[in-house]
Amino acid sequence: MDEARSIGTGDLRVLHHPVLGDLPVSRPVQITVDGQPLLAREGEVIAATLLAHGILVCRAMPRGREPRGVFCALGRCTDCLMTVDDEPNVRACLTPVREGQVIWTQAGLGGWEGPAG
Amino acid sequence: MKTTGIAVIGAGPAGIAAALAAAEAGASITVIDENSAVGGQLRWRIAPLRGLDEALDGLPACRAAETLRERLATAGVSVLAGTVAWGLFEDGSLAVAAPGGGFRLRAEKIVVATGAVDLVLPFSGWTLPGVMTARAAQVMLHLHRVLPGRRVAVIGEGRDAAELVTDLETAGAEVVLRAADPAQVVASGEGRVEQVSVNGEQREANAVVIALGRQPDPELALQAQVDLGYSARLGCHLPLRNELLETSRPGLYVAGEAAGAVDLAESFAEGRLAGLAAAGASPERITTAQEKLARARSPERSADADRLRPWASDRAQTETDASSPWTSWVRAATAEGRDNSLDRVALCRCEQVTIGEVRQAIEEGALTINDIKRRTRAGMGLCQGIFCTRAMALLLHAERGIPLSEIVPMTERPPARPIPLASLVEIEE
Ligand SMILES: Cc1cc2nc3c(=O)[nH]c(=O)nc-3n(C[C@H](O)[C@H](O)[C@H](O)COP(=O)(O)OP(=O)(O)OC[C@H]3O[C@@H](n4cnc5c(N)ncnc54)[C@H](O)[C@@H]3O)c2cc1C
Repeated sequence: MDEARSIGTGDLRVLHHPVLGDLPVSRPVQITVDGQPLLAREGEVIAATLLAHGILVCRAMPRGREPRGVFCALGRCTDCLMTVDDEPNVRACLTPVREGQVIWTQAGLGGWEGPAG
Repeated sequence: MKTTGIAVIGAGPAGIAAALAAAEAGASITVIDENSAVGGQLRWRIAPLRGLDEALDGLPACRAAETLRERLATAGVSVLAGTVAWGLFEDGSLAVAAPGGGFRLRAEKIVVATGAVDLVLPFSGWTLPGVMTARAAQVMLHLHRVLPGRRVAVIGEGRDAAELVTDLETAGAEVVLRAADPAQVVASGEGRVEQVSVNGEQREANAVVIALGRQPDPELALQAQVDLGYSARLGCHLPLRNELLETSRPGLYVAGEAAGAVDLAESFAEGRLAGLAAAGASPERITTAQEKLARARSPERSADADRLRPWASDRAQTETDASSPWTSWVRAATAEGRDNSLDRVALCRCEQVTIGEVRQAIEEGALTINDIKRRTRAGMGLCQGIFCTRAMALLLHAERGIPLSEIVPMTERPPARPIPLASLVEIEE
């Protein structure tokens, strides 16, 4: 794995920040989202990894399979509910990444119907 | 059942100040915060602080949060992080969900310092992935170091929006469009934001940030059914408090943005006063804290505090309502026929209820927020109405002419959060 990846992982990472400084090197964590392996930074929440890799959709709503992504990042709106290690309705904005975690885009209220969109 | 002298709910600036003051006065204190670390909104902001004290002023907000955490540790106050208070019951006990399981907490005094959440209003395309609140954008930018998008539109024209624009540009994103008010905005794209237009001016964009300001979140106090007053400045109801910041329920205090404080200095000063009062500190100390709070309050806010009265007796608000910053949103949302592009937009994100469906319910006789909720399911979702009741109140006001001051908030019931069933089961024991 190259050095840049172990720092950043994902195109939307802010590697250098005028106030916060350079992004510290962190241990890369591998997760799988809808069957696709993704590198995450240790300690971050699932929603951050997704966003860094340009993945915006977390769930499809019961009505019309309308796609939703992170909205409040506070744990309040539940637009970012995903199925994590077989457990449905996990809030991606609050749940930290863990090595080997298996995450699926969630359809409706938790029943698993395959990746949305 | 666990017990404590003073339970402080929320470890933002107000809760921290309350805990530090109560510790000074020798009380036994339990601080609870659902975030993983203390600091409240300061944790994800980087703007330099003003108006607190010499050691903190000038620091980026997130660094100040670390200093405040050290002060708590020095004072010997322990904080239960990652822990949510989700219920405040008749008997005065709190229901708490913690990482290790749930418990019931009985406190002699309770300080609710639960802060504020982002104020949002529906617009075309606001449920698309890529649309997020100012807080979500700041959490991603500063806690996780991820851009919400490379090309971003920002809604709002106040202080929060200005801070957001600076934050985005500092981190390397491009702010491609700004809108003063949500009714002017249309976000569109296939399954995610791809274009944004403001009053017809269109840009490619991959994110939209809603930075309209914040709204107080005193939900736990509402559960306790304290007396409320209407704040014309904020357009919502707030707990009424005496000069010690105590509510109509003895021993229950509300401080900081949860009670309508406008900024950091005021939140901090309120927290200190509530902490001292709850700890039964000497009259001299309390007077000093009251004087400090009076200095921290802007004249605008002091006037507002004076206007807090029980809603039922306050009929003189209609004029203020008409000139509220939401007038243009209300006009767009209630326009007749083809002019109205908002009718099919979701008002309630959780239950996917549209503005049109809510207007229909009002037309058919709904007169209160609880009525709308029963008829349409709007506000019944997991967010407990936090992101939709404002829009419902504005529609009731516009369609029925009911003054906002008379539109009482939804009946709040525990749980205040979508907590796992396991926590409920443990509470039973
Ligand atoms: C974009 C932006 C710009 C701002 N600009 C300025 C500025 O220029 N100047 C200024 O003075 N102020 C500014 N502020 C405001 C300032 O940050 C707030 O006034 C201050 O943080 C309010 O403190 P608080 O303690 O009342 O609430 P918060 O900081 O919101 O803290 C509340 C805490 O309570 C916790 N909580 C809530 N409910 C529960 C529950 N049920 N159980 C457990 N924990 C709970 C939350 O997790 C949170 O940590 C700005 C804020 C933002 C977002």
